[in-house]
Amino acid sequence: MEAVRNAFDFSDFPRLDLWVAGGVLAFLLVFPALPHSSFAMTIMIQFLMFSLYGMGWNTIGGYAGQVDLGKAQYNGIGAYTTAVMMVRWDVPFWVSMPVGMALAVGWSFIIGYPLFRLKGHYFAIATIATSLILKDVFEVWDFVGAAKGMEIPIRKNLPDFLYLQFKQDYYYYYILLALFLVGLLYLNAFRHSRLGFQLRAIKDNEDVARSLGIDAHWCKIKAYAVATAFVAVVGSFHACYNFNIEPEDVMSLDLSILIAMMALLGGAGSLWGPIIGAAILVPLKSYLGDWLGASAGLVGLNLVIYGGIIMLIAAVQPRGVWGMVEAALARRRGDHGAA
Amino acid sequence: METLLPELLRSLVSGLLMGMVFALVALGLTVIFGVMDIVNFAHGEFLMIGMYTTLVTAPFLGVDPTLTLPLAGVVGAALGLACYFGVVQFLLRGPMVAQLLGTFGLMLVLRNVALLFMGSEPRSVHKGWLVGQSWLVGPGVVLESTKLAAAVLSIVSFVAVWWLIRRTKTGMALTATSLDKEGARYVGISTERMNGLSWAIGGASVAIAGGLLVNFWPVDPNVGLLFTMIAFATVALGGFGSIRGAFLAGILIGLIVSLPTVWDAFIRFAGLGDFSIHSFKYTFVYIIYFLIMVIRPQGLFGWKQ
Repeated sequence: MEAVRNAFDFSDFPRLDLWVAGGVLAFLLVFPALPHSSFAMTIMIQFLMFSLYGMGWNTIGGYAGQVDLGKAQYNGIGAYTTAVMMVRWDVPFWVSMPVGMALAVGWSFIIGYPLFRLKGHYFAIATIATSLILKDVFEVWDFVGAAKGMEIPIRKNLPDFLYLQFKQDYYYYYILLALFLVGLLYLNAFRHSRLGFQLRAIKDNEDVARSLGIDAHWCKIKAYAVATAFVAVVGSFHACYNFNIEPEDVMSLDLSILIAMMALLGGAGSLWGPIIGAAILVPLKSYLGDWLGASAGLVGLNLVIYGGIIMLIAAVQPRGVWGMVEAALARRRGDHGAA
Repeated sequence: METLLPELLRSLVSGLLMGMVFALVALGLTVIFGVMDIVNFAHGEFLMIGMYTTLVTAPFLGVDPTLTLPLAGVVGAALGLACYFGVVQFLLRGPMVAQLLGTFGLMLVLRNVALLFMGSEPRSVHKGWLVGQSWLVGPGVVLESTKLAAAVLSIVSFVAVWWLIRRTKTGMALTATSLDKEGARYVGISTERMNGLSWAIGGASVAIAGGLLVNFWPVDPNVGLLFTMIAFATVALGGFGSIRGAFLAGILIGLIVSLPTVWDAFIRFAGLGDFSIHSFKYTFVYIIYFLIMVIRPQGLFGWKQ
């Protein structure tokens, strides 16, 4: 019961935050009704997907401070579970999604156990390795279509809510928005939970946390599982939204790094951070690609600018955009000690 | 036995030679890591730029690709210095995540600048002293001159860097910086300059590796990632910051990569069907890396943890 109360308890945020958050939520709710291009719709769906990825990553990477660069493997497990179950046994999305989540979480426990013996760089690079191993396996595994991947057949009667197939994108949008809100409320509860406090203690000083009786290793594994669950759900959704999945697409290292990037850029360890990061990076990447990419005959220039911006933010304010906002607000209030 | 033995010898030799190239690629990374504890995601991109330097300047200057290696080294060193003083020194103030983020951005920039100017199609060096030369040195064992030259230069580079670090005053200052930054500053070592120097050495060695590699490995803007991963694995295996470790680990990884060829030959020889593991070539590298990291995080020869 307390968890439910905590989920709706936003009282520790400044009023300004809540007004902005409310405004954004209102915009998200009415967005499909506003005049928009299909390109803008694609971007909004991507934004919601990456917000969810980022929120999940934030539990392990933000609150616990463990830089995990292997999240794509769980995206792949989620996406492939849904695709395989749909193609081979005709199982609806709402059944295969929890199954995919369970498989991903199970796998995360198996590799999380040895993984969290490592720290810092060692941990970060080892997560990359685990993700690449799984991708290599999927690329030769015939049951899941090997390197060609899987294609979900289109159903006869659309819209199909059981199998998540729609002609119009706004159906996908609202389903994703619902997942997004559930995720946000869950994270708000997570923030206040025992595990949330334990993780922040571990991030600040692991030795002190352990001396207080916190089982740091087990706490990290639990946070890793929570992050995995988020990513796997979005992976399942991705399979239905894209119809076509392949290892290079759903399990690539680029995706792993992008997931971490969203949260880091926005500000890891804060509730709004991943959402801000996704709101900046997703449109930036898409629009730069649209203006300067292949269509303008300048392949690569968009990603040069994109990489440059990431580099700049990392060099100027390592706590991300949210860190910049907090610093600016603190300066205006005149108290330099805070933030 | 007639078919198995030459196959075995051949993959052993090619694994050994390839391993020395991997070691040379990893040398720069281990120097940088040893001195300043930073993971450079753009390492493979430095290699890619070295490859392009040789590819482009050799026909432009009208000389053999082999002669452009010093130029590749200079370009690599300049690039390393530019990256350090332009970006990396600002990243050091932040936490580890800022370094990951920043060098990842650097990787994107370098990769796509290459894409912008060179296009995406793979290119390779077609003529030169080394290209196409090979000798039959044993029953079925062919020694390609490109790989042999790369291996020899790898040994030379390792000896040079080892000498620089162990036998010169600058090298001692580098070691001091990596052991204790504060302490080094107290005794009057400019750690800023030492960091810059490590990036210059790192950039130069990896760019030279690129100049050698392009003789037998086609280059495209995305070639870097595989080598970044192999270099990470090599450095981790040998121990972060250990030069001797990087060399031995490189050879070990070369042999691991050539294992599937041996396996396939064996399977064919034993008549066990065609269960090929060739596509898992690099997977083994990641698996070994993961196991080493978990069982012995400081690597085989490392002292830093």
